[in-house]
Amino acid sequence: MQSDFIIIGLYLVLMFSAGLFFSRNIKNTADYFLAARSAPWFWIMGAIWATNIGFLHGYLAHGGAAYEWGLIQANFEWFQGPFGYIISGLFFIAFYWRAGVYTVPHFLERRYGSALSLIYNLAWIVIFIVTIAAEFYLGGIFLKNLLHIPFWPTVLVLAIVVGTYTLLGGLGAAIMMEFVQFIIMMLGTMPLLFILLHMVGGFAGIKNVLIGQWGVSAQYFTVLPDIHHPYGPGPWIVLGQCLVVTLGWCAGHQSMVQRNLGARSLYDAKFGYVAASIPKTLGAFLYIVPMIAAPIIFAGNGIFVERADASYGKLILNLLPSGMLGLFIAGLLSAGLSSISSVLNSTSTMVVKDIYERYLVKGRPDHHYFVAGRAATFVVIALSLLLVPIVLKVYLIMWLEQTLLAMVLGPFMGILMLAIFWRRANAAGSLVGFITGGVFAILLQQVFGVNIFFEISWWSFVVTSIVTVAVTLLTAKPRPEQLDGLTWESDFRAKLGEILEQRAVKNGMKIGDVPKPIIRRPRWYLNIKYWATAILLCQVALLLFFG
Amino acid sequence: MRRVNLYLLAFSFLLLSQAALSQEKFTDVRQRMADDLTAVKVSLQANDRAAALEHFADAKKVWEAEVRPMITEGVKTNNQFQEYFERMAEVDGHFVSLAQELESAGSKQVESRVNAMIWAISHHPRGFKVPPPRYTVWDWVFGLGIGIGFCVFAVVFGLYLRRSFYRRYQKQGKEPSKG
Repeated sequence: MQSDFIIIGLYLVLMFSAGLFFSRNIKNTADYFLAARSAPWFWIMGAIWATNIGFLHGYLAHGGAAYEWGLIQANFEWFQGPFGYIISGLFFIAFYWRAGVYTVPHFLERRYGSALSLIYNLAWIVIFIVTIAAEFYLGGIFLKNLLHIPFWPTVLVLAIVVGTYTLLGGLGAAIMMEFVQFIIMMLGTMPLLFILLHMVGGFAGIKNVLIGQWGVSAQYFTVLPDIHHPYGPGPWIVLGQCLVVTLGWCAGHQSMVQRNLGARSLYDAKFGYVAASIPKTLGAFLYIVPMIAAPIIFAGNGIFVERADASYGKLILNLLPSGMLGLFIAGLLSAGLSSISSVLNSTSTMVVKDIYERYLVKGRPDHHYFVAGRAATFVVIALSLLLVPIVLKVYLIMWLEQTLLAMVLGPFMGILMLAIFWRRANAAGSLVGFITGGVFAILLQQVFGVNIFFEISWWSFVVTSIVTVAVTLLTAKPRPEQLDGLTWESDFRAKLGEILEQRAVKNGMKIGDVPKPIIRRPRWYLNIKYWATAILLCQVALLLFFG
Repeated sequence: MRRVNLYLLAFSFLLLSQAALSQEKFTDVRQRMADDLTAVKVSLQANDRAAALEHFADAKKVWEAEVRPMITEGVKTNNQFQEYFERMAEVDGHFVSLAQELESAGSKQVESRVNAMIWAISHHPRGFKVPPPRYTVWDWVFGLGIGIGFCVFAVVFGLYLRRSFYRRYQKQGKEPSKG
């Protein structure tokens, strides 16, 4: 156990020092909020995955849910997650990137005006602060149970380490640290799978014991179950989760999008997002598949499990030898810290760029907002720490977060799709649609008692879309500046048309006589579409093999 | 009116914290029982049958005085206790068998018995009991309707986008600037 403590201590010191080192060149808001748009695709890949996978969305909560409900939890990794990454990478990111925005609310403001942007912004700031508090809580409780160390000092040490490098280094330091943490997570936590599979005789061995000997339901091994499944009915996973929540998460979650906006080119932004679906797919082997085998280990070795949330910690504590446990915990801390850091950085970006600079203190020099960014990061950490005691009392943290997300992501996807694909969509329609969709989501849950979060998201998406279309048709058309560069028609090929037109004007030629610009394509092995197709085929193979 | 709301809020917090406290206590007593049972196993591996019997008595005491009553009371108000209620007879049976095995049986047999007992007081995955998949006519109609509907929508929408793009692009091409 002593060697484990030494490894964890070394890890925290390393993270703290590396964070300080990476933050030494940060001088202005572009450096602080967009990492000077310098990140190559592999940093983006690592950072996106590390952002996505934390204590809350990954090892502890998803691992616990996999223990409770089985392989269905892998639909996040083998089905909707990669789908969301690829579609967002190939499609949505281009709109944000070319619009030159800092945040998703900034995009919404340009397309729909400030009212909707402000509501969206405030909703996400609340979600983010709750998320950070929940991550601190889960990290603290996990280390307390595992290593028998006090809760609050642990949480404070985590806050100081992650807060320091995020506060000083902004997005650049966060992305670089997330890439380092991505490697530690992969190397530190992957051995568990091999140890477990060796113990239970592979995946076939797990099935033999659970289905053959224990008579467990076959749906414990189904990724996409039938519509009667109490946890995740298949059709709602496809409609609500995959097409609305995951796409909304990948295209609307500021932390996910901001990593792409820090890329050195649009190609890096897109390829980074698409490539992140590879570690996302592998994630199921880190915390889903091991938890399917966990009941056999618990029953066979007399390991007491009080509830599903605690199962992941119990498994590694009883299975891993000293030394390896320390490395594993370092990997888990990487997951938690990277998620906290990214959400922290995104929250400060939204607070400063979309509220402070926009409404409170306008027209100050860049350095003023740079300092405000650091101050905002500090305030967000302090607020999150104050929220931890409340989160501590909320029995189901995931429920709280998912309720908030259901209220935001369904309506967001409705207005985003219309913003991009329908030039007629206007500010009044989107505002009324967004509010109606959010209220409808609350009514579905609180009044009609619908508890399946995917179903709520789907119907709030549908209601938002219908109301937005109806109100838009009754009100005035949007102004041209609200469409330029922000809709599908004004995207790349149309831009190409404009370039040709400008050249024709400049040279006094007919547009047909202007030589077409040469578009340099990357080599085949760096072609994003080939990678996206290959990854999607792998998903199909995984679904056929496991599902 | 405001005061009434405040009382209601305080009362709901009280209920919430009471429920959380009782959950914590239920976890603690089961953990203690599991620790005692593990000690039975460890003692027998060290050939200390007297210590094993002592730990067995402790485990049985925790089960009868604390865990069992909590389950029988808890199941009346909270369905989270249901799974433990259903396994109570199994645990009782294990205690009877373990008492006999501790007199004569080898450590391997005792170990597997103890492991089974600890598993019986642990939380079992709810996914184990999900009914096998079933697809009604309505499910097929719903699934195919959504699937075919989505494909039709994708094709129509794709054609609309293509048409709107070319309409705009050709218009620009046909009317080059006179500059």
